[in-house]
Amino acid sequence: MVLLLPLLIPVLGAAVVLFFRRGTRTALLIGAAEIAALSWLMFATYRHGSITFGRYLRADHLTTVFLASLCLIFALVLVYSSGYLRHLPPERFSSLRWFYALLFLFLFTMLASYLSSNLGLLWIFMEGTTLASALLVGFYETEGAVEAGWKYLVVCTVGLAFALFGTIALYLAAVKSGVAGGSALDWTSLVTAAPQLSIMKNLVKLAFVFLIVGYGTKVGFVPLHSWLPDAHAEAPSPISAMLSAALLNCAMYALLRFDAIAVRAIGPGFSHHLLLLFGGVSILIAGLLMIVQRDLKRLFAYSSVEHMGIIATGIGLGGPLGLYGALLHTFNHSLAKSVLFFAAGNVREKLGTLRIDRISGMIRMLPFTSGALIFGGLAIVGMPPFALFVSEFAILSGAFSQARYLVAVILLVGLTLAFGALLFHFLHMLGGEPKDTPESRKVAGTELAVIGACAVVLLIFGVHVPVQFQKVVEGAMAVLQQ
Amino acid sequence: MVLVDLAASKAMGSAAVLLFLTVLMLAAAKRMSTSIVAFALQSAVLAAQVLAVAHIHRSTESYVIGGLVILIKVLGIPYALFRLVDKLQAPRDVKLSLSPVYSVFITAGLIFLSFTAVHTYVQELRVSEDVLAAAVALILSGAFLMVSHGKALMQIIALLVLENGIFLAALITTFGMPMIIEIGVFFDLIMGVLLMGVFAFRIRDTFEHLDVSKLRRLRG
Repeated sequence: MVLLLPLLIPVLGAAVVLFFRRGTRTALLIGAAEIAALSWLMFATYRHGSITFGRYLRADHLTTVFLASLCLIFALVLVYSSGYLRHLPPERFSSLRWFYALLFLFLFTMLASYLSSNLGLLWIFMEGTTLASALLVGFYETEGAVEAGWKYLVVCTVGLAFALFGTIALYLAAVKSGVAGGSALDWTSLVTAAPQLSIMKNLVKLAFVFLIVGYGTKVGFVPLHSWLPDAHAEAPSPISAMLSAALLNCAMYALLRFDAIAVRAIGPGFSHHLLLLFGGVSILIAGLLMIVQRDLKRLFAYSSVEHMGIIATGIGLGGPLGLYGALLHTFNHSLAKSVLFFAAGNVREKLGTLRIDRISGMIRMLPFTSGALIFGGLAIVGMPPFALFVSEFAILSGAFSQARYLVAVILLVGLTLAFGALLFHFLHMLGGEPKDTPESRKVAGTELAVIGACAVVLLIFGVHVPVQFQKVVEGAMAVLQQ
Repeated sequence: MVLVDLAASKAMGSAAVLLFLTVLMLAAAKRMSTSIVAFALQSAVLAAQVLAVAHIHRSTESYVIGGLVILIKVLGIPYALFRLVDKLQAPRDVKLSLSPVYSVFITAGLIFLSFTAVHTYVQELRVSEDVLAAAVALILSGAFLMVSHGKALMQIIALLVLENGIFLAALITTFGMPMIIEIGVFFDLIMGVLLMGVFAFRIRDTFEHLDVSKLRRLRG
């Protein structure tokens, strides 16, 4: 029941919202119910360690780590949207109720991916996330949005087709090494039976290559990232935040689960090296591409690619420090990136453009939004005392403690590049003479509230990770490394 | 009964050749309708394959899957695609970015490639080499169709061909995934085609053409 409720509410909610003409208030109510249900689920998992429902639903500490950020981001996005979307003209598919209905469906598919204990179901719901969010990406019916939506749909569907092939290959390896067909896709039984899979070594390797390419497309690893900057830049800002802060994590979660199986079956050498490779390339290339961006949201999108690379590097390093840093970083990155996308939304709303070269003197025009950008920027580059410093430092010390100096150098170079790029672009936007005056300087209460909330959490996690969260992360590491 | 057994074994045996034919047909196709028919035929071969497996293994689940393949891939999706072509009132040619001759040659090359690719796995898995090669060839040629065609509708078909390949690979190596997974994958497939149809309409309405290769605004 506790597992079923958070899945039922968004599905029913999506249907209910469609009955209302505008639906903002209804959506907020349903969202509140959903957040209560999710909190209950997280609390129950925290107490019991793991809960199962039937054959296909399961939650453990690892799920909770990801659920925590999803729940928080969803709440923020919902509140932010309620203020942000007021000015939208009511048209079909571009109507508010469709926005909320699709947002709930998007949440449902992500939640269902987290809660599936069966790897086949995980794939089905991951594909569902693409389908549910494609229309949200193309929500504004502009040329750019339609193009980005199409590209997102096609690239991610093809990518995930490879992931399906990988899943089938893993299933085949499990069946051929004597796991019963019915449970050969069940994560728990696969992890237990993984050492048997070593006799099908080649097949497991083949499976993992396809899985990392497939889910890696969704994570946005370079060179599979082509959809990501377009989708992030063209989607409405709350959706950009949702994509960057929730969806990428969701795909990373899938990779984590498969990595745990691969490590047990054929040792950490193969899968961890692949993760380090994709991670390193993503960090460097995204860092370089950040310098040449002209659009604020594309800049943040490439920053997401970079941070996914950092997380992959943490997983690839493994060990207590690397994994701890990676898990914590998924949470921290989500929060910092939401601040940036919310602030970008404000910029777009007030100045009507996101072109960096057309904006200057923002600090005098929009002091609050500029403050949010500076804050988010400092947080995302990993300055202390913000939370990202803690997780990046953990990953970096993981690299040093294993004497992997190349990895450490790549991380440092990437972080420096990102820092330089953000500083360069922000100086241009914030400083100088204002080019035009915005229509209003007023900041909506909802926008103030969500950015403030993110800031508080980022600071708290930067100074001291709460004991409960620490425990959950340690539990998650135990789940992966048992 | 003997006749059915014979039919089943023939279906198993000749599937690969028929699939290669549909792949080449898709590569050479100049009109949308030809491609859709080729896809429907390809799915029909797949359905025969599933039913043959169902008959040989006496598995009810596989019969259901076979029925679903016929319903969805042989009839439903091709019908929907024909409707889409009609409604979009788009030009009927497929907009191939290279000449059909080259396209066929490359596809033939991909078929060779898939035979070499599966070679190492055939003995380990104890499956028929040509059918596994056909599955890989479908995946590769699906990807090739994707990059060689500019039309939004053709990309949908390319994706479906790719998916057919994965389906076939799963079928012959594992005799089908668990039922619930298969049904979920079908559901995703239907929703995916539906959404791509929606986007095809939107591309036409906003750009006034359906040529995805001309969508070049977003770069870098």
